[in-house]
Amino acid sequence: MRALSIAWKDTRHVYRNIAGLALMLVAPLLLATALGAAFGSGDNFSIAAVKTVVADLDVGAEAGAPAAGATIAGALDNPDMADLLDVTKVDTAVTAKATVDAGDAEVAVIIPSGLSAALMASDSAGSEVQIYRDPALSVGPAIATAVVSSVVQSLNGARAAAAASVHLAVSLGVTEDSELADLASKSAEAFSGLAQSEPPVTLEERAPLVPGLEQQKRPNVASQVLVGMMLFFMLFGAATPSRSILDEHREGTLARLFTTPTPRSVILGGKYIAVFLVVLVQAIILLLAGWLLLGAHWGALGPVVVLTLCGAVVAASLGLVTVSFAKTPAQAGAVSSAIFVFIGLISGSFTGGANIGGAFAIVRRVSPLGWLLEGWNGVLFGGSWQSIALPVVAALAFALAFFGIATFFFRRRYA
Amino acid sequence: MEAIVVEGLRKQFDPPKGPVAVDTVSFQIGEGEIFSLLGPNGAGKTTTISILSCLLRPDGGDARVGGFSVTREPEKVKALIGVVPQDIALYEDMSGRENLLFWGRMYGMSGAALNKRVDEVLELIGLVDRQKDRVDKYSGGMKRRVNIGAALLHNPRFLYFDEPTVGIDPQSRRSILDGVKDLNASGVTVLYTTHYMEEAQELSHRIGIMDKGAMIATGTQDELVRLVGERTRIDLTLDREAETLAARWRELPGVSSVSAPDDGSMWLSVQDANVLMPKLFDGARAVGARIIEISLAEPNLEMVFLHLTGRALRD
Repeated sequence: MRALSIAWKDTRHVYRNIAGLALMLVAPLLLATALGAAFGSGDNFSIAAVKTVVADLDVGAEAGAPAAGATIAGALDNPDMADLLDVTKVDTAVTAKATVDAGDAEVAVIIPSGLSAALMASDSAGSEVQIYRDPALSVGPAIATAVVSSVVQSLNGARAAAAASVHLAVSLGVTEDSELADLASKSAEAFSGLAQSEPPVTLEERAPLVPGLEQQKRPNVASQVLVGMMLFFMLFGAATPSRSILDEHREGTLARLFTTPTPRSVILGGKYIAVFLVVLVQAIILLLAGWLLLGAHWGALGPVVVLTLCGAVVAASLGLVTVSFAKTPAQAGAVSSAIFVFIGLISGSFTGGANIGGAFAIVRRVSPLGWLLEGWNGVLFGGSWQSIALPVVAALAFALAFFGIATFFFRRRYA
Repeated sequence: MEAIVVEGLRKQFDPPKGPVAVDTVSFQIGEGEIFSLLGPNGAGKTTTISILSCLLRPDGGDARVGGFSVTREPEKVKALIGVVPQDIALYEDMSGRENLLFWGRMYGMSGAALNKRVDEVLELIGLVDRQKDRVDKYSGGMKRRVNIGAALLHNPRFLYFDEPTVGIDPQSRRSILDGVKDLNASGVTVLYTTHYMEEAQELSHRIGIMDKGAMIATGTQDELVRLVGERTRIDLTLDREAETLAARWRELPGVSSVSAPDDGSMWLSVQDANVLMPKLFDGARAVGARIIEISLAEPNLEMVFLHLTGRALRD
C-alpha cells in the first residue's frame, strides 16, 4: 500500500505538469499527424501525379510512316499512367524547359526531330531524348524517366531486330531495297509485338514476408510513424517521474521519507511503479488518439496489449537507468535526452521502421526500442503472437538488465 | 530513565581522508526531557541527528532509541521518532491535507484513523481553514507548521528538531519554540539542535555542546555555566577596530578569554572585573582607541563555549 501511495503521488505530479504533458502526448501526435499528412494517411502510400510536359519534335522517317516520337509521347500519355503522370504537350523544346523553370511542371520530355530517322538509318550517329527536370525533385522525374527509358529500350530493340534481319537477308543474297525495307519493318514490328505480349524475361519484385504472417497487410503511414514516435516519447515520459528521485533528494523529501518506517526498497519500488504507470497511461492515450484521430489500425488486440505493456516496462527501465547515473535533475535531463535521441536514431523511431533492412536492421537490435519496433511492425503488417515473441523477449531482457543497473546505483547511493 | 543512549558514535565522510563529522560522541537523554545539541555550524549536530534518525549509518558506536538500536533495528526506531528537518520537506503541488495524509501513510496509518489524526494535527497547527490549498500557496510560517505537523501524525514518542528556526521571522520562531514546549509538556521527549544559545537556554532541560565533531560538555545550563567558574563576562564596544587590543588583553592576568569579532564589539571572560576594568581602559588608550560602551553580565552558554574552545559560538 505504501508503494502505491508513493506511485500515486508521483503519477499525479507528472500529470499535473502541463509542459511535461505536451512533450509526452501532444508532440508525438503532432509529429505523426504531420508525417502522415506528408506521406498520405490513407490505407496505401500515394503521391500526386507528376506534372510532365512533352515536346514531341520528331517528324518521322518518311511521310505516312508512324513516328517513334509518337510512341514515346503515347506511352507517357497512356490512360493507365494517368494516376502517376499528368501530361501536357507543347510545341517546342524552349517552351517545355520554360514550363519546368517556371515551376509549372516537374519534368519535361523533349523528343528530338530526328529520332525516327535515326532509328531507321543503317549508320545513324544516334539521337537523344532529353529529360529536363526540376533539380530539387527526385521521385516525379524518376517516374517519367523510367517510362521514357522503357520505350527507348523497346525502340532500340526493334531497330536491332530489323538490322539483324536485313544483315541475314543480304547474306542470303537478297539485294532488292524494297524487299529489305519490308523485311526490316516486319522484323521491328514482330519484336515490338513479342516484347509487349510475351516478354521472354520478366522481373518479379517481392517483399520478404514477416515470419508468422498468414496474409500480408499494409498499414497506413500514420500507424507506422506514430508507433516510432510513441516509443521515442515514452522514454521522455519515463524520464520525468524517474527524475523525481533526484528532485526529492534535492528538496529533502527523500531524506524525510527515509526517516519513516517505510523501507527504502518499498520507496524505490513505489518510484518504479510510478514510472511504469506514467508511460503506460501515455501509451494507452497515444494508441487511442492514433486510432480515433489518425485512423491508425494497430492490429490484433492481444499482441498489441503485450507490446504496449512491454514498451512501458522498457521505457521505465531506460528512464530509471539514465537517471541513476546522474547526480542532479539538470544533469539527468541533459544526459537522458542525449541517450534517448541516440536510441531513437539507431532503432528507427523516426522512420517508423517498416522498410528498414540490411545492416540497419541488425544495428537496431542493439537497442530495446529497435526490438519493440520490430514487434510492432510485425503486428501492424498483420502478424500475431509468433511475430512478437522474439522482440518481446529481447526487449524484456534489456529492461531487466536496465532495472538491475538502476537499482544497483540507487541502492549504493541511498543505502 | 534514559530514553536515548548514545555510545561512542563516530562518522567519517569519504574515508579514509574525508572529514570526521562525529568523533566518538556519547550522551544520554532522559524520558520526557528536552535535550539540545548546541554548537556552531559544522560541529556535527546534523550528522548526529541523522544517525539517530537512521538516515546515516555510523562507522562506529551505536545508539539506542527507546531501547532499539539504530544500527540493528532501524525500522523499530523509525516507528518511534518524528523528524522535523531543517528545511521544508513537503510536496508543494499537494495541499496541506494531502501532504499530511501522504506522510501519515508512510508511517503505516490508513483509513478513518488517519483522517481523524490529520484533522487533529490540522487543528493543532492552525491550518484547518487552509487545509485544501496547495502548499506552494502557503506563507513561510504556514509551511513550517505543516513541516512540523507531518512529524506529529503518528504520535511519536521522540521528536527530533534539526535547527527548525534557521532563517525565519521572530514571530514564527516564537511559535515554534512555544510549540516545542507544549509538545514536551504532553510527554514527548525532544532532541533539538541549534546554534542559537538563547534557544538552548530557553528550551532545554539539558544541553550537549558540540564542536568539531566532538561532544565537549553536557549538563544542565547551571552545570555548564559552573564550568566557567567564578568568572564575569565583560561586554564592550570600541569606537573603532583594534586588532592588536584583543591580543594585548589576552596577556593580562585574570583574563580567561577574549572574543573579538570584526564589528568593534568584544567580550571578555575575567576573574575580577573590578580589578581589570581600569587596565582595559588603559590598554585601549595606548592603541588610540576609546571604549564607548561597557557592561558586566553573568556567565552564559556562549561564555561556556568560549571557555571550552577559545572561540565564540558565532565565529
